Amino acid sequence: MKKLVGVAFVMFLFLAAGVLSAGAQQEVDDGKYVVGVSWDEKSIPLIQAWEDYMIAEAEKTGSAIGLDYEFIINVADLDPTRQASNIEDLIQQDVDVILARAKDGAAIGSSIRAAHDADIPFVVFDRKSLTAEQGDAYVGGDSYRQGRSTAEALADLLQKQGIQGKCIEVMGDLKDNNAVLRSVALNEVAVETGALQVVTQVPTEWDPQKFLSGITNALQAYPDANCIFLASDFAWSAVQAALETHDRYKKIGEAGHILTATCDLFPDALIAMENGYIDVSTTWDAYLHAKALVEVLNKIGTNAPLTYGEEGFLVPGRVVYPETLAEMENVWSRDYADWTAQ
Amino acid sequence: MKLKQLSIKDSLFKYGFYVILFGVILFFTFSAEYFLTFANINSLVHAAAPMLIIAAGMAFVVFTGKLDISLGSIAYLSTCIGAVLMKNLGFPPAAAFIIVLLSGIVLGGINGFIIVILKVNPLITTLGTLTAFRGLGLILTQSFEIRMPEAVRAFGTSRILGVFSDVWLALLLLILLHFIHQKAVFGKQVTALGNGEEVCLRLGIRVDRTIFLTFMLAGFLASIGGIVSMAQIGQSTTFLGKGMEFTAVAAIVLGGISLFGGEGKIIPGVLIGVLTLELIRNGLNHLGANPYLYEFVNGGIIFTAMSADALKARLRGQVILVSDENT
Repeated sequence: MKKLVGVAFVMFLFLAAGVLSAGAQQEVDDGKYVVGVSWDEKSIPLIQAWEDYMIAEAEKTGSAIGLDYEFIINVADLDPTRQASNIEDLIQQDVDVILARAKDGAAIGSSIRAAHDADIPFVVFDRKSLTAEQGDAYVGGDSYRQGRSTAEALADLLQKQGIQGKCIEVMGDLKDNNAVLRSVALNEVAVETGALQVVTQVPTEWDPQKFLSGITNALQAYPDANCIFLASDFAWSAVQAALETHDRYKKIGEAGHILTATCDLFPDALIAMENGYIDVSTTWDAYLHAKALVEVLNKIGTNAPLTYGEEGFLVPGRVVYPETLAEMENVWSRDYADWTAQ
Repeated sequence: MKLKQLSIKDSLFKYGFYVILFGVILFFTFSAEYFLTFANINSLVHAAAPMLIIAAGMAFVVFTGKLDISLGSIAYLSTCIGAVLMKNLGFPPAAAFIIVLLSGIVLGGINGFIIVILKVNPLITTLGTLTAFRGLGLILTQSFEIRMPEAVRAFGTSRILGVFSDVWLALLLLILLHFIHQKAVFGKQVTALGNGEEVCLRLGIRVDRTIFLTFMLAGFLASIGGIVSMAQIGQSTTFLGKGMEFTAVAAIVLGGISLFGGEGKIIPGVLIGVLTLELIRNGLNHLGANPYLYEFVNGGIIFTAMSADALKARLRGQVILVSDENT
């Protein structure tokens, strides 16, 4: 009996915690335009920025065209299986449209198919589906062009300094289309320009611990490496630790500085660029992504035709250097905090 | 005659991982110029430090013949508590880390309570807490990264006598845990449990208490591993501890600690198992190997280690049977 009471007590605790933390399950209201959002994770501030910008933009533009937006949002905590189950939940709640940032581009196809079977349009965001099921629209940054512009800027800097680049390429998760495209772009630029050679590729699966150990190992193996290309700078803290370990965390112009080119310009990297540790980056423009996303959602909500290019709604990033950073407008990693405060 | 053949196989299993480790070192030494240098070995053990500590905790649980697959989540949740205390409430790092360690003990204790008092299977229990603890951590941090104060970052890259501080910490802990396992009453009870709980009960060993303490110890070590990991990368991220429990299991099996319990040692078992996995990752980095190769190689090694452990257990059974026939 005691054990039974104990089990019941533990179950009660878990249930209570679940209810208290999640709040009551959201219901789909009649007359609302309900968007089911499936995030793969929310461990990086960029995703919260996307969400906040998207909701604000939807409220601003939706009312003008008669769309009363409501968002049901769930998070998969980097688990593709949980994401599939989360999307199934959204289908069961009969939302009007589903929007998902895929954890695994190869696994999202079955969820797209399930949504379509239930006649629910599906928008793929930020990470493309790597399956035959592409969804009704793809919205995201242009990873290839982002990687390319960063790599071209890096090659240009190397050529201007008269240095033959020996670069460490820090890759992302190879199941993420963005990571793959940035890598392709860098290696194309390396061949085309001849300004740099990728001496080693470090796979990270977007895990900061692997950024640290991978870069540390690479600098050990290639002590003459003079440049580093980061597929994303979200784990800048780990990059900094790895560079410090090898006494290579130096400002631009200081002896031992390793020419650093990054994609995204996340908040920590933004500070590092302001302080002169990063030579060039191409932004990942959260605000513009969210605008493009709402444009697509508005079209779906009003049954307007989805006219766009072959590759989807792609938002290019902007190349930024330490000397141009201050003038650049709408850099989310710098301006988002002020925006939310307003 | 049959016994002799099996004993050769047995010794091959016993010393097999030394052969593997030696082979791996030899291969990378001749293939990569800077592999066998002090700086690289120092970096390598530095990268392995959190796993060394967490795997030692896992080893204690496995010695009892049980498994705790929530250790990565304990590392994550306990460090989240510390990170939030430092960031939101302005706790000094030392005070926050004491609470992190206490949290690790409490979380391990929750596992122990469910297993010992509620008599729920350890795998099922820790599968549940694996998810629940991580979920709590995500709620606490709103799943945001939290940057560590400079003092914590500095510890992550600090050195004593040229060797990273966390390497010293990991090695000291391993030596202490090895001593506890080999010499202390608690350690002997843990091993005895792995060889049969029924016998232990008849011998008057307080089985439930020992299991409970083992899970608490594993939780405590997971929280230390979490602190080391967080200090190394200078931030608390949702990646912290993710999948660590499975790597820890693979490492200890590779180090000759049987998943069936009652067999193996902290030193050299945990040390060799964890370092072998890290050596391979490090070596592949040095060789500039195809990035797609990493997961394949790791998977192959884990599969081989698990198979060897299962075969070893089967052979041990055969040896006992043959011995019985001869007596």
